[in-house]
Amino acid sequence: MAPQRVTRIAGLLALPVTAALVLSGCSGSGSGDSGGDAESFTFTFATSNNLESPYETLAKEYMAANPGVTITSNPTPNDKYGETIRTQLQAGNASDVIITAPGAGDARGLIPLAQAGFFEPLGDTATSLVPTGSDTLFEIDGKTYGQPLDFTIGAVVASMGTAGMNGITSWPTTMDDFYAECGKLAGDGKSMLALAGAAAPNAGLTAQGIAATRVYASDPNFNTERAEGKTTFAQSKGWADTLQTIIDLKDKGCFQAGAEGGGFDAITNGLAQGTSVGSFIPSGSAVEIAAAAPAEADFKVQPFPPAAGGKPFVLASSNYAASINAKSQKKDAAKKFLDWLATPDAQEKFYEASGLLPISEYKNLDLSNTIYSEVVDDISNGSYTTLPSNVWPNPAVYDALSTGVQGLLTGQSSIDQVLQNMDAAWGN
Amino acid sequence: MFRYTKLTGLREFLFWIAALVFLLPFYFLVTTSLKSDREVITSSTLAPPTAPDFGNFLKVLTATGNSNVVMGLVNSIIITAGSIVLLVLLGSLTGYVIARSTRRWSRVVYYLFLVAIVLPTQLGTVPLYIGARALGLTGSAWGMIILYTGMLLPLAIFLYAGFFRGLGTEYEEAATIDGASRTQIFFRIVLPLMSPATGTVAILAGLIVWNDFFTSLIFLGGSANQTLPVAMYYYIGSLVSAWNQIFAIVIVSMIPILAFYLFAQKRFIQGFAGGLKG
Amino acid sequence: MSTTFRAGEVAATETERVVLPRRGGRRRQAPAPRRKGLLKFGYWWWALPGILFVIGIHYVATSVGGFFAFTNWTGIGAFELIGLDNFTRIFQDPTKIGALWNTLFLAFGSVILSNILGLGIALGLNRGLKSRYILRTLFFMPVVLSPLATSYIWKFIFDFNGPLNLVLRGIGLDSMARAWIADPTWAIWTILVVLVWQNIGFSMVIYMAGLAAVPVEIEEAAAIDGANLWQRFWHVTLPSIRPAVAIATTLGLVNGLRVFDQIMALTGGGPAAATETLATQVYKQSFALGNFGYGAALALLLTLIILVFAVIQQRVTADRSEEN
Repeated sequence: MAPQRVTRIAGLLALPVTAALVLSGCSGSGSGDSGGDAESFTFTFATSNNLESPYETLAKEYMAANPGVTITSNPTPNDKYGETIRTQLQAGNASDVIITAPGAGDARGLIPLAQAGFFEPLGDTATSLVPTGSDTLFEIDGKTYGQPLDFTIGAVVASMGTAGMNGITSWPTTMDDFYAECGKLAGDGKSMLALAGAAAPNAGLTAQGIAATRVYASDPNFNTERAEGKTTFAQSKGWADTLQTIIDLKDKGCFQAGAEGGGFDAITNGLAQGTSVGSFIPSGSAVEIAAAAPAEADFKVQPFPPAAGGKPFVLASSNYAASINAKSQKKDAAKKFLDWLATPDAQEKFYEASGLLPISEYKNLDLSNTIYSEVVDDISNGSYTTLPSNVWPNPAVYDALSTGVQGLLTGQSSIDQVLQNMDAAWGN
Repeated sequence: MFRYTKLTGLREFLFWIAALVFLLPFYFLVTTSLKSDREVITSSTLAPPTAPDFGNFLKVLTATGNSNVVMGLVNSIIITAGSIVLLVLLGSLTGYVIARSTRRWSRVVYYLFLVAIVLPTQLGTVPLYIGARALGLTGSAWGMIILYTGMLLPLAIFLYAGFFRGLGTEYEEAATIDGASRTQIFFRIVLPLMSPATGTVAILAGLIVWNDFFTSLIFLGGSANQTLPVAMYYYIGSLVSAWNQIFAIVIVSMIPILAFYLFAQKRFIQGFAGGLKG
Repeated sequence: MSTTFRAGEVAATETERVVLPRRGGRRRQAPAPRRKGLLKFGYWWWALPGILFVIGIHYVATSVGGFFAFTNWTGIGAFELIGLDNFTRIFQDPTKIGALWNTLFLAFGSVILSNILGLGIALGLNRGLKSRYILRTLFFMPVVLSPLATSYIWKFIFDFNGPLNLVLRGIGLDSMARAWIADPTWAIWTILVVLVWQNIGFSMVIYMAGLAAVPVEIEEAAAIDGANLWQRFWHVTLPSIRPAVAIATTLGLVNGLRVFDQIMALTGGGPAAATETLATQVYKQSFALGNFGYGAALALLLTLIILVFAVIQQRVTADRSEEN
């Protein structure tokens, strides 16, 4: 090989290397650096579809109200969200503002991450928004690490328009009625429910939504009892019923074909195109999907039918919080954004964009003409419980539940195994 | 000698069919990437697009934040080039010394590198990660260059040592007689001679660094220095099965390496097959 | 790194030159004359940076990692030594045993399949095809691509409404169409398909190089002696390419045991942990769930397995070469 070859290689490499030296000298340490502007920052949130996320809408509103501020959004897939933000936080590469969940029961739960020192303590505005009785989910030693954003109701989001087109005039209130409708729809190649079996968040939320009726309706203190060791998942008839119901739903054709492998797109497409009536998704997603669906879709939040003789029960709690990265270089800009999020004006916009009830104002709203019209009574007479995974001690329990549901759908696991795994994950 | 019979012709034809079937995935890649958002949901996955829509590529190239593909591309180039330079430098120096020495320590060191090639990096990843974090090197391009160099150095040293062993010492001896110093000998005489090995090291190591995902994800994920595979991972993650856009970015990520491959395919294949022939 | 599939390929050839007994040599030139004693060229300390780098990044890091395998460290804060607890946990957890099994299955499966197919293509292209170089380029193309990228293409193909199922339904095999990637039995096979598809080209070029070196005379002599195609292959061709087989299978195995990118892109380890391997579990435990100690234990297990197989491979190929 001639020396010309060497020179050629050397020449080819010289330029990028010089560039490397120069650029690495200039570039920042890379904490999601969004540019030299002190007012600009980066923002990470979860996304389950390609529609405009309400967080994106809020970011745009903020930018419109504050010219000169650039928010770089990083929509992150919902089913990898926890692992993604944890990896980034540990390496110091996370965004400035991150949407997290309260408590410790989810991989994106803010308490363990705050304990590890990844988040910045927030001020009084954030503290004032924390719902009474939920301090332990947002605060450590009196310091708040996540600003609550919402009041989310977790039940079935159903398109009454689609239901009507398929001969379902009113939402079934008993399991027998529900199964009957499932059978009718399945005959037409449609389904009552869309399930993203391969996406842990949806599998888990479905189980929790059903558990509201089978476990917490009769035993609202289950989580506390479990924490005190007075009961276990394996001993709980309610939890066994919940898991059995999921199997029954599958066997009776209530889920769409291929549900065990379905991703979030099965839900988005199913609900928007009318091949599925409803799904266990956060009420906020209904507004996103409604934007992609025809106007007649008429989404409503409907309670899942209780077991025979039971009463309707839904999930309702604050499930989303905004946290600030402790390693952020843009803390002031981020704090200003969070303060803005707390204003009634911003909350109103968030409600319009997402359908999630505003955290502080929801009690004052008249919900009779909204998607919540069917569950207003359940909320006002207290027939609801906090999302269980917010309160559980570590993410492994919820992980065991979500993967357990997937296993039940594919036949890999039995109900006993799933409950035992949940207990084992709880630890002591 | 060898006659080209009808049977051979048949064999050739069959292999062409095999090659086309083998490369069928690329057909899906290209046709799907040219479908519009509407069409990708409604049309059959087997059918070609009715009217090619290049809009997906535009979206890919203008994505921002963690999904910034162009930035990922630039970072990949910087990190790969930097790693190659460092590997060539350190690898050749070390390999040369090992090859030219006959003392005991050089054999020990040689086996040290041999074992290091096989040793999987998973076990060392966590401590390296913690060390890098403590030194503030996570999220930095230099940190990654140092890391990749360290990881691939055993391979580079191995290749160079092997090459140098096969290289007679005549040139160096002649230069010694002419009064050149050892440093001069290395940089003036040996360096140009080792270009075949350098080519192989550059291609093999460059390919590994360019395509690396796991290490880059952990160390650089979310930072401004993340490489192309990570940017692609985040971008696709945010797309949730919009296959047309997903494939647009897959194509964009493949173009640099495929262009290089088609340009230098012989060198690629030779490098892999181990025959350092010219 | 999961893409070091090709790493050390040339190295292994050099390995043979240096490590294996000299008498097996066929196409080797006379060894370069060596001066005994002092280093004649270069300075010994030139090697120092390289050695330090390797010791630091490979040996020190690995030993530290090995140490943490016996602790319960979460990556932040304090930790305690817990002895073999992590390991008992591994062997008591059915998903971890499953991960171990998947690791071995994917490694051996991909090695066997890609080598047989690669050898087949190499043999087919070997003699006299006019377009062999173009064909070689085409078959090798997937090897240079990012495993992540190719996995996304295959994810599309295996999708419930993707091309594969469409074709199956089209030819009347409706019952066979399923959610491949979400099926607990078949998901691991989809990963195997992607691995093999990407690596056929790799073994193919190794075998092509090996076959090219087989002297035509021997084969022709065998043909004259009346050996048929199969006999010629088994008794003449195969022994001649033993070194190529050794290289291809060693590298394939070592790297097959470390597969990561393809699994993360295709199944993410699911459904319900059915496609987890040791490598993906190391990532999840260490980085996603913060169980550094547990993750290190899994990594230590993976390291030991790889080392064991690498040593076995070395022994086997060394023996074989002596037989020759």
